[in-house]
Amino acid sequence: MTPNPLALIAEITHRCPLHCVYCSNPLQMIGAKAELSTRDWVRVFQEAQGLGILHLHLTGGEPVARPDLKELVEGAHGAGLYTNLITSGIGLPEARLAALVDAGLDHIQLSFQDSKDEPANWIAGTKAHAHKLVLSEAIHRFPIAFTVNLVVHRQNLDHLEEMIGFAEELKPDRLEIAHAQYYGWALKNRDTLIPTREQLENCLRLVEAAQQRLSGRMRIDCVVADYYARYPKACMGGWGRRLMLIDPSGQALPCHAAGVIPGMKFDNVREQSLEWVWRESAAFQRFRGEQWMPEPCRSCERRAEDFGGCRCQAFLLTGDASATDPVCTLAPTHHLIENARVMTSCDREQVSWSYRANPD
Amino acid sequence: MPGPSDSSLPRFASGCRWGTQGEERVVLFPEGMIRVQGTGQKILELCDGQRTVAEIVSALLAAYTGADPIRIREDVANFLEALQQKRIVDY
Repeated sequence: MTPNPLALIAEITHRCPLHCVYCSNPLQMIGAKAELSTRDWVRVFQEAQGLGILHLHLTGGEPVARPDLKELVEGAHGAGLYTNLITSGIGLPEARLAALVDAGLDHIQLSFQDSKDEPANWIAGTKAHAHKLVLSEAIHRFPIAFTVNLVVHRQNLDHLEEMIGFAEELKPDRLEIAHAQYYGWALKNRDTLIPTREQLENCLRLVEAAQQRLSGRMRIDCVVADYYARYPKACMGGWGRRLMLIDPSGQALPCHAAGVIPGMKFDNVREQSLEWVWRESAAFQRFRGEQWMPEPCRSCERRAEDFGGCRCQAFLLTGDASATDPVCTLAPTHHLIENARVMTSCDREQVSWSYRANPD
Repeated sequence: MPGPSDSSLPRFASGCRWGTQGEERVVLFPEGMIRVQGTGQKILELCDGQRTVAEIVSALLAAYTGADPIRIREDVANFLEALQQKRIVDY
């Protein structure tokens, strides 16, 4: 029996005022005209509740780019979902935040690209940092949970300690330190984002020290770059096991990046119920369980822990979505990761990267 | 942060609240949930930011006749301190 999903990730739009070089959106984005209607989204939220889903993550692109965001939050709250808004804060003045809180918003997650104006704007490809500071003050005037999200990579990890100090001053309930994951735009820019081993080890030390120091005041979660791991990550908690993502056009995917895998057919919530998609659709069944696994995964003791790693990463790096995630030191293609770790300079003068574009 | 005192006013931390999963009452918070049953659920239901810890202990003593007041006071304090560490409760 397939367990019920725990969370729904609703990518309500791909439009975004930022151009972050590590954006997880696909390179082929969905334009405003193809976006799901308010009514469809609200129905999806009700179906999600019926399927046992507890948490809803409203994300994008920039979710506040949807003028009907208040109605969406209202619909989600009415359906009984715990509603989280993942935002850059651009386009969210205090009055609009107040309306979202009234509509039932539970949690806001505000991303920062760096601790200082200039480098933060360099990474975001636009002047965003100052707006975020204003919003982070306003958030404290509302009874919602506040997470600060710091996205880290080679270009900012050298001053992580200062970034943690900066985040601490914003007084969030929770701090998420997320290493850029190499999908979508981030894969395009991987060679300038991938940290050095020293940076990663230093990061782990700093996070542990901060967790101890701030225990009971601020929860700190850290998502590390798996290129240095011995074993792969249990991507999304396993394919089709915990999470479901709906893209702006209503396609249901097992994760952010699954669209890159050739031959996948994604069903659309305009035509199918969420329950049917979860239990019956080919896309959600494709890598569920262990039948698809090759060796060394199939006989590996860790197969129920990491599920063979990430299917999208396996495809993007090896060309075969059924291969063992090359991050795994047991994978026959592990040399691909070792090669990617060969470092270029950290010198900013030498960085040339592709800023995320916008959909039509 | 030390454990709650008799006059502390425990309540859910910002953005933490009750939810339901099927028939069960669960506590929802950013990126997670916990199931609380039995006495734990009873304690949390009394944490409304209006009642003091002393009042919560009295209410529990009234509900569980014959319970040891020192033991109940200790259980309440430990339970709330653990949830405070997880940023689910403030007092």
